[in-house]
Amino acid sequence: MKLRFLYFFVFAPICLFSQVRFVKDTIQSQGDSVVVTATRSERKLSNVTVPATIINAKSIQQIGALRLTDILKEQPGLSLTSGFGAGVQLQGLNPDYTIILINGEPLVGRTAGVLDLNRIALGNIKKIEIVKGPSSSLYGSEAMAGVINIITDATTKTPLQSSLRYGTYNTIDAGLNNTLASKSILYQGYYNYYSTDGYSIRPSTASRVTTPITRVATNQQFKYNLSNNTNVLVGLRFTNEQIKNELSVTNGGLTINSNGEEKNTDYNIASSLNHRFSNALKTSFRSYITQYNATQNLLTISGAPYTDILDHVFNRLENQTDWVVNKKLTAIVGGGAVMEGVKSSRYDSEKIRKTNTNQYAFSQWEWTPNAKLILIGGIRFDQNQTYASAWSPKASMLYKINKQHRIRLSIGQGFKAPDFRQLYLNFTNAAAGSYSVFGTAQAQKVIGQLNSLGQIGTLYNNFYQLKSLQPEYATGTHLTWEFEPNAKSFYSFQLFRNDIRNLIEVQQVGAYVTGAQIYSYLNIGRAFTTGIELEAKHQISKEFSVSAAYQYLETGDKDQLAQIKNGTVYTRDANGLSRKLNVSEYVGLPNNSTHKAQLKFNYSNQNGLFGNIRALYRSKWAVNNTNGNEVYDAGDSFAKGYIALHLSIGKDYMNGLGFQFGCDNMLNYIDALNLPNLPGRTFFATLKIQKSKKI
Amino acid sequence: MRQILKPFLLLLTLSSILFSCTKDETSVALPVTAITVSNLPADTVLGINAITGMPFSAGKYTFYSLERNAIVPSTDSASTKWDLAFAGSKILTNSGTSGNGLGGAFIYTGLFDNIKTISNDSVFKTDNAPASFAVTFGSGKGWYVYDQLTSLITPLAGRVLVIRTASGKYAKVEIINYYKGGVTLPITASDSDKLSKQRYYTFRYAYQPNGSKTF
Repeated sequence: MKLRFLYFFVFAPICLFSQVRFVKDTIQSQGDSVVVTATRSERKLSNVTVPATIINAKSIQQIGALRLTDILKEQPGLSLTSGFGAGVQLQGLNPDYTIILINGEPLVGRTAGVLDLNRIALGNIKKIEIVKGPSSSLYGSEAMAGVINIITDATTKTPLQSSLRYGTYNTIDAGLNNTLASKSILYQGYYNYYSTDGYSIRPSTASRVTTPITRVATNQQFKYNLSNNTNVLVGLRFTNEQIKNELSVTNGGLTINSNGEEKNTDYNIASSLNHRFSNALKTSFRSYITQYNATQNLLTISGAPYTDILDHVFNRLENQTDWVVNKKLTAIVGGGAVMEGVKSSRYDSEKIRKTNTNQYAFSQWEWTPNAKLILIGGIRFDQNQTYASAWSPKASMLYKINKQHRIRLSIGQGFKAPDFRQLYLNFTNAAAGSYSVFGTAQAQKVIGQLNSLGQIGTLYNNFYQLKSLQPEYATGTHLTWEFEPNAKSFYSFQLFRNDIRNLIEVQQVGAYVTGAQIYSYLNIGRAFTTGIELEAKHQISKEFSVSAAYQYLETGDKDQLAQIKNGTVYTRDANGLSRKLNVSEYVGLPNNSTHKAQLKFNYSNQNGLFGNIRALYRSKWAVNNTNGNEVYDAGDSFAKGYIALHLSIGKDYMNGLGFQFGCDNMLNYIDALNLPNLPGRTFFATLKIQKSKKI
Repeated sequence: MRQILKPFLLLLTLSSILFSCTKDETSVALPVTAITVSNLPADTVLGINAITGMPFSAGKYTFYSLERNAIVPSTDSASTKWDLAFAGSKILTNSGTSGNGLGGAFIYTGLFDNIKTISNDSVFKTDNAPASFAVTFGSGKGWYVYDQLTSLITPLAGRVLVIRTASGKYAKVEIINYYKGGVTLPITASDSDKLSKQRYYTFRYAYQPNGSKTF
């Protein structure tokens, strides 16, 4: 049965395809695209002062991307991480430091700092905007490496669309999109169903790297025009994930087999009242309510049940007013309040919600002294109940040398607030040596109580330094030169550097009488990421285009580098004898590749036929400290560099029918240990039906 | 609290694994030569308990004399014939709660060859079970790190155990490896290999027989 189904979809070439939108193809001569994330207001991409990228719906569809991970892994400067879901690393900074927004509102529900990007279906997305560099001056906490803003279209009409896709590992994705419109009301509904059997790329193991998953998602959007100048937007989004687990955990020779179910639900309600007083003044009141609930039920073979819950609520009220002072000066002023709370079985009580409130105000001024120059200055202040307040300034500029050359320069400070886990975690791992981790807000109290019970063996000096955590800060500088010699070619050259301080790291602060370790969090680390990004795009002919991108990245822990320079870090020679480590052997932060490159060929003709082939390269990266020092150096374990090659072809017919066929990871590259999210070669086929091109 | 270690029968085969070296007995002025000891078993894992699933071993220490470069039979555990005793990642000195000797130790951060003289203000700790040991137990605290993800023990580079022997003489020891054959297993090695091949010490040491603190 299954085989025949597969045969039908994979080999019957008639059935292959995608979507009917004959958008005029320009080299992403970024000219006329509008970006909102860079300035919190609509600006042409060619007029923003910071590094910004737009991924439009067409390119999402043409590569056959289903989930947010599928599209982000192919963006220059970004790479995916595995462990606690798929997160995104931006210019060498971990997933914790990139804020993920949907229509400008943050998604919550991070595990160990990682927000699983597989939660987000791409079916009704209009575009994705990526801004690189600290953007806390507009978005507050988490916008330290950058911002990824997913924009679903609530304001334009799209025709009734449905799609069905089948692929390797019994992966099914079905989507339905519809718009209903009257004079004053516009409604958009989106439904998505996704399921997969998961896969195992490790031989001789029962446990699957990706486990059987079923996901449903819906997005309902309403726009109600009260008058020509006033409208109300309401967006409801709901996702539900059911994940079946067969886990096999081995610790100290003891293997525990367990199976269980994980259920994650996520809803957001975003509403806004937008009013335009005049062409020079408009304001927007926004309210946002979101909740993420994750419940994990594990039943071990021995019968011992284990339940883990995480429940995160985030409510926000915000106002933003845009004011055009005069032809040369525009301003944004805004402010808001956040009420946030988390319940978790890994805190002292899963029944009590830990809460935090935050008030903030921001302002940004944009000055255009002449046609060639745009200068922007912005600042935001976040005041907080549980950790120190933060100022986030940012200055940026765009200078158009002439029609062909542009220079952008931005310098900003970003921050990431200590998260609930770092404040309230109260976790003892019974399976692995009974070590404990206590969040900073409670560590001294909890450990003090344990001490009075005689359970504490030793307390380190840093235990006495545990106090309220400070936010982590980054200062980022981005300098970009863009060259557009003609309408068919585009080149960009970027230098970036991020300096991070106050990094929150897990540190041992003591030990139980039994010797088991006790950990907490301290602001101790200093790090940097710096590099170069190159991009080139060229329209070869009407149908063919090619794009290439390259990133060179250097990262490092500044304190470790200082120690290496002082000659107090050691490694071992070929005979296993200790020697001093040279600075040249230091490789920086783990999971970062020095070189990343991509090359994409695109074909798209007037008859709706399209195809693309994309090659993505990543050089080796350090994964494990194996040579007996605490720094990552040339003698440690690395994951091998690799190339992933993806192909997709399709045709959209005028009558609304569309087919697409794709093959991901054509070279069948597998690294079970380091790339659990990369299955071997997989195939998919999609059938798409659209009511008509126009409404 | 801790009993002097129980005697146990030593397998004769073990001694064949060990290297031996000729010692320089003539001149005290000559620098002492470094000796490498390979594959010294230290309470190796014997199997996995079928009921608990946990690995088990005999629970016996391997006693070693730095002076004679030889394993000391455990029947002599209550004597001053041994200087160091090894079981798993624990290393005892013949001092305090562990033995009757004049032993002691401290951990020096730096290179083996750079210790020419033990400075007079160095403090030798003694074993005081179970609270503290001259060679500190625990990952990252003494001579090794344990990676909870890979279950591998790696000796820290640039750590030297400066030892006062049972007879009050001095030696310096660098632990090189913890796995059979002197090669740390790859992180991808099987669990059974990680268990069966661990607890085999490779180390080098220099022993100063003349009682001075100079090597």
